[in-house]
Amino acid sequence: MITERLTSDYVEMRFGPRWTYISCVRRFVASFFMIGLADKERAEQISMAASELLENAVKYASEEEGYLKISIAKANNEVDVCVKNKAEPHHINTLRRELALIQAGQPEAVYLKKMEEAAMTEGQSRLGLIRILFEAGARLRLDVNDGEVSIHAIFKLEAA
Amino acid sequence: MSNERGFVPLNVDTLSIVPRLDGDTLRVAMSGAVEMRDPGDVLNPYWTLIDEEALRRNLTIVELDVRDLNFMNSSGILTLVRWITRCKSHGLGYRLVLQYDRNVTWQRASIPTLAKLAPNVVVSAGIDG
Repeated sequence: MITERLTSDYVEMRFGPRWTYISCVRRFVASFFMIGLADKERAEQISMAASELLENAVKYASEEEGYLKISIAKANNEVDVCVKNKAEPHHINTLRRELALIQAGQPEAVYLKKMEEAAMTEGQSRLGLIRILFEAGARLRLDVNDGEVSIHAIFKLEAA
Repeated sequence: MSNERGFVPLNVDTLSIVPRLDGDTLRVAMSGAVEMRDPGDVLNPYWTLIDEEALRRNLTIVELDVRDLNFMNSSGILTLVRWITRCKSHGLGYRLVLQYDRNVTWQRASIPTLAKLAPNVVVSAGIDG
């Protein structure tokens, strides 16, 4: 397992968050972790999470600046997918509420409920975060610092 | 057969959809990826056309085959949720069969969950490859 060697390594990308970059990043992340973890399922879950978080960043960021960092922490045996961007206060508040809501219930029940609600309304799906939590089994964390939002999707890895 | 009203192919960005009528079953094959920013702009009206035409022709089954779809973002998933919601409201309509590849992570996770939205009219069918 390459995770032995990657200890506290990370992949970091900074770019103006353009939609067209997202699929490239997803494919890169999937390939990178496919090789690094030798676990196709985990690699695809991590790349899906990166993709969904970047989509949110492009949709809701208040400035033309996006940041993706994926860290591999050997001590915790975890992969942390972090997307950081500036956001307007009302978007930050929405995000806080959203996260509290999806973390409060049983993931599949919350996912189904959110799907039904989304189908009844126009506009964005707002299914990305619950999808990461339910489908990829990641833990989600939100950090806010001076108008800058960091969303983390944290994956527990199999013990090497 | 696939060029009759309502059953036209769709090609947009990295996504291709080919419908094929086979007796009273409509087989709809998706390939590529749903990764555009607003997939609902093209997919919502497309699924509505398929739905209306399937009802008009009294089809019994619509098979949506996503096995060659390598990714679908959550906005794309929402278009399927909207379609399933329509199916649920029809009462006596066609049965929607969602065919997926068990070996593709996103399909294995997403598709059976979608079927749970309307277990009486939507079934998921996992296939190896």
